[in-house]
Amino acid sequence: MLAKVSSATLIGVEGQAISVEVHVSKGLPGFSIVGLPDAACRESRDRVRAAILSSGMSWPQRRVTVNLAPSGIRKGGSGLDLPVAIALLIADGQLSAAVVDNVGFIAELGLDGTLRGVPGVLARAHALNAAQLVVSPDCAAEAATAPGLRAVSAASLSRVVACLQGRSSWDEPKSSDATVLMAAPPDLADVRGQPLARIAVEVAAAGGHHLLMVGPPGAGKTMLAERLVGLLPVLTTSEALEVARVHSAAGLALPSQVLPVRPPFRAPHHSSSLVSIVGGGGSAMRPGELSCAHRGVLFLDELGEFSGAVLDTLRQPLEERQVRVSRARASTVFPADVLLVAAMNPCPCGADLGPGSCQCSAAARQRYRARVSGPLLDRFDLRIRLDRPEVADLVRAIEGEGSLEALDPGVESTATVAARVARARAVASQRGFATNAAIPPGSLDLLAPLSQGALRVLEVRLRQGLLSARGLQRVRRVARTIADLEGWEGKLRPADVYGALALRSNVLAVEKAFDGVQPSAASLR
Amino acid sequence: MTGCGEEGHAYVAALSALPGMGPANLASILRRRAPRAAWLAVQTGRLERPSGRAEGPGLGLEGDGGPHRGPGWRALAAKVDPPEWWRPIAARGIKVTWHGRPDFPEALQSDPSPPGSLFWRGRLEALRNPCVAVVGTRNATNCGIATAYELGRDLATAGVCVLSGLALGIDGAVHRGAVDAVKAGASAAPVAVVASGVDVVYPKRNERLWEEVAECGAVLSETVPGRPAQAWRFPSRNRIIAGLAGLVVVVESHARGGSLITAEAALARGVEVRAVPGAVRSAASEGTNQLLYEGAGPVRHATDVLDSLGIFDTARPQRPHGSGQLLLSSLGRTVLESMGWYPVTPNQVVLTGGVSPAEALQALDELEEKGVVVESAGFYTRVR
Repeated sequence: MLAKVSSATLIGVEGQAISVEVHVSKGLPGFSIVGLPDAACRESRDRVRAAILSSGMSWPQRRVTVNLAPSGIRKGGSGLDLPVAIALLIADGQLSAAVVDNVGFIAELGLDGTLRGVPGVLARAHALNAAQLVVSPDCAAEAATAPGLRAVSAASLSRVVACLQGRSSWDEPKSSDATVLMAAPPDLADVRGQPLARIAVEVAAAGGHHLLMVGPPGAGKTMLAERLVGLLPVLTTSEALEVARVHSAAGLALPSQVLPVRPPFRAPHHSSSLVSIVGGGGSAMRPGELSCAHRGVLFLDELGEFSGAVLDTLRQPLEERQVRVSRARASTVFPADVLLVAAMNPCPCGADLGPGSCQCSAAARQRYRARVSGPLLDRFDLRIRLDRPEVADLVRAIEGEGSLEALDPGVESTATVAARVARARAVASQRGFATNAAIPPGSLDLLAPLSQGALRVLEVRLRQGLLSARGLQRVRRVARTIADLEGWEGKLRPADVYGALALRSNVLAVEKAFDGVQPSAASLR
Repeated sequence: MTGCGEEGHAYVAALSALPGMGPANLASILRRRAPRAAWLAVQTGRLERPSGRAEGPGLGLEGDGGPHRGPGWRALAAKVDPPEWWRPIAARGIKVTWHGRPDFPEALQSDPSPPGSLFWRGRLEALRNPCVAVVGTRNATNCGIATAYELGRDLATAGVCVLSGLALGIDGAVHRGAVDAVKAGASAAPVAVVASGVDVVYPKRNERLWEEVAECGAVLSETVPGRPAQAWRFPSRNRIIAGLAGLVVVVESHARGGSLITAEAALARGVEVRAVPGAVRSAASEGTNQLLYEGAGPVRHATDVLDSLGIFDTARPQRPHGSGQLLLSSLGRTVLESMGWYPVTPNQVVLTGGVSPAEALQALDELEEKGVVVESAGFYTRVR
């Protein structure tokens, strides 16, 4: 006898509807599973058998064939355990086929019949061809966020059967309010003595400009990166669903009961492998950190310590805002719309407080800085150098002799700055591009026109070779964002351009050799 | 010295290239034998490698197995014909002289540990002017670089032969200043004493400067052409700088550094050492400030050097320091007054100057244009 049950599997971050077909026929007792199952999927035979027996039902002493259609796609993971078990019970006549009409199943089975959660339930629920979905209790809330679907759960296989037969009732997930805010992010006002850096994170948040911070240890690079997330606007429902699907597919814990509201903040360690950053890894095609930071901030601390291969793979996704991963058995596209924030020390000893101050040799400094390739460096619209706050100032502030406010007047809270960022983003999005960083070169003349004064400032730098054509475009985009933050929508003023240039320091430049024009020589008399 | 014509040079060069040949040994050999005779003595085994000493591969031949081992001089000399080996080197404009020859630099004839032979490109006549060594750290501040550049330029303009080591940082700036002065018409050309062979540019970044110094003045070295700069050659090179100079000026030096070795070598030869005072908190001035503390005279600008040398009759450079006479906008002046003399980032300018980032950069732009401030790797330093 034949039975058919709906389910879904995961390829990358996308769900794929699967029809589980079980045929039970006369012949030597046996069990075969076809339709490109991977190892975890093939092992479902033993889990399903034990679960059915320990739930007080019987295993058919006949020939059982399981087909996972469409059979051309490789299926991974254990989420098909429950649909296989249900289809088998129907095919064996222990359950009526009518009860699974328009019902899908996604769960792993324990040997005792317990239902267990699997990653990517949200993405699978999206793909499912059914109106009702049965999942394990721990995935119920996640499944419930999928629109147009009734998600229910039960603790064990025997409960599932009882509910299907109407002898018991499903557990409904607690309805949750997706707009409940998560814990407030760390406050920008905590950052002292870094006025330029505070402005840099504000501009980065408002314009979607990638940010590189170079500074000695203890300057507050990580602190600033964490605060940048709080400045980004909260996610819209569709964005939150995208983020949740990626996180679910990556097996990350979703925030309790609700869709993520805050943009994600991911800070992979510098020893991370290429695959862990961009995604992939076998047929499972797990999304990498780059995709986990989708719609949020990817923070790479100690940028110079990441392997060169990892850094250079970032270049293409940063441009395309998605990453295409191809493996022998599968190929997929992961979303990767991230705001990249990177931090590094100025040199191996980290104590570079200006030319002539550190112990590293010129060659060592040059090697260290050269680890960030030119093309990658080029992706950073904002490059700033951070200073370690003066110890004496901090001590004075702690002892109450001077306040932190006096040390750095004009500190603003995250809420104030975030409001300004939201306004600037609203203005920017009216121009037809998500952020100013995304304005294509061809539209710059229209969207970021330069005033005469601003043009002159840039012209001098172009003539001196301090600015490339590409650098010019980036300065214009940042200047546009600065003007947007100030509510100025006219031609870019000199102050906007100067502001953009101030946020584009020569942080990784190597000391100039005396070959060619000595910068000060022309002016020294 | 016995006359030996052009051939003698090839034999001296070949003798210098023998592994384990030290300057004292070479000088003593050449005192006793004519170059060609000395080579014959090597070939016949009457002159052998001193035991326990080794240096380099020797004549560029394979098989020198390190100290105490490898082929002796006799075996090496059997394979080499010095005139033939030397001809292509000489064709590249590289010359050689040795201790005792009339063209050997006068100041080194009486040196306590003179080089046995000297190789050079350019014209050694540059050394006839009063010689002042201006040296300093490779890892210099912008202030130090600017000071070194000015010293090199102003001393060359005043007719002083500027000696330095063609390294990165201070040495390069000194030479650049002197070369620029020569280009502008100064008659006194600079001389560089380098650690590698005169045809092996080190550091590579100074290649153009190296050529320019060789063109107008001279690049000289104790090292046989073709040999790389090895760490141990630098202190030994520094003693030649000290030996050639009538005065040594250290512009910037960290607490330990090669320029302090030059200063020590100068003091051992009774050559006056002077130092450019630096900010007490600047790591790059720790060594020079220590020299000053120990009694070295200060140098503020080229005039101090000229006074010390007793040169009063040349055109004196104007004092370049001070920003009082500069026409600055009020924003520029505010920022300049807030920034002090240490390297600062735009962030510090914003913080201490109480200006916006855009204003800070506008002011720094103006100051840079007027030559008051120099930018390097994201830091701005006031240089006058």
